[in-house]
Amino acid sequence: MTQTFDQGTRREAPIRADELTALRGFLDYHRDTFRWKCAGLTQEQLAQVHPPSTMTLGGMMKHLALNEVGWFGQTLAGDDYPEPFAGVDWDADPDWEWRTAGDDSPEDLRALYDDCVSRADAAIDRALESGGLDHESVETSSSQGAFSLRWIILHMIEEYARHNGQADLIRESIDGVTGE
Amino acid sequence: MEQAERAERPVRADEATSLRAFLDHHRDTLRWKCSGLTQEQLAQPLPPTDMTLGGLMKHIAVVEQSWFEDDFVGGGLMPPFDTVDWDSDRDWEWHTARDDSPEELFALLDEARRRSDVVLDDALGPGGVGLDGLSAVEAPDGRGRFSLRWILLHMIEEYARHNGHADLIRESIDGQTGQ
Repeated sequence: MTQTFDQGTRREAPIRADELTALRGFLDYHRDTFRWKCAGLTQEQLAQVHPPSTMTLGGMMKHLALNEVGWFGQTLAGDDYPEPFAGVDWDADPDWEWRTAGDDSPEDLRALYDDCVSRADAAIDRALESGGLDHESVETSSSQGAFSLRWIILHMIEEYARHNGQADLIRESIDGVTGE
Repeated sequence: MEQAERAERPVRADEATSLRAFLDHHRDTLRWKCSGLTQEQLAQPLPPTDMTLGGLMKHIAVVEQSWFEDDFVGGGLMPPFDTVDWDSDRDWEWHTARDDSPEELFALLDEARRRSDVVLDDALGPGGVGLDGLSAVEAPDGRGRFSLRWILLHMIEEYARHNGHADLIRESIDGQTGQ
């Protein structure tokens, strides 16, 4: 089954809502915006750069998939990374996800991305059962200690919004598609 | 503004403190991305987009001030935006920025931030309406009034998205990169 994303079918954050609904609403809005920015492109287009930047939309899909399971799975919940990330030697190849995305088909990239988002949502649901947005992460920062779930969701919203801004310009350079 | 001077985002804090910290971090990030450039560099696009860093500064200034001081409180637009004929020129801030010096653009951005912070201090301080407080204006599509929570989250994503644009434009001007 292929789900298509466009600007019109994207989920929107409600303009009056409690904190949790608002945060998850903005996160889903940016996930769908990102899916839309990457939709309808070939493997070659997903590997196209907008010089002088070396970023690609395919690399960004794999990078955001990694961020989803990294922050919500590994840091928040203490879960192990799923494949293909579990087997990577990150010390030797810190940009692995950016570098290898050109070898993946659009279908493989979307499947990986969707799987990581599902795992992230499941980890958020589990955290909310025990403490709400003040729930503290299993993995900690050496300088600042545990991360609150509130901080992790806010960080993922800014991470997505920033990358969607980069994706705006990369997508426009590929086929002229623009839009907020 | 340097990368290391930007506002911190505390990893465990209440909702209002967290939202304001993320907003401040992105306000500072835009200032860092636009720092140390000449008027000509601030007017340089990265084709095919016609966006420029100077235009982005002027755009963010009007967007921030209009959300907090005009839409939320009903106080109107600040100068010079209050006398623009927006109906005949919807992108006025984008295409007039090239005539402004870097100092003028930073002053405009600072004034918009200062006015917005007055609104936020009032709404989120003792006796304020809080994050569930509602905007003076209603959404044009019939959804009703905006909560201050939504406006703050929207401004964080608005800044962050534009900072993503600024990342690529800045890199094309002088090679500077960084999150």
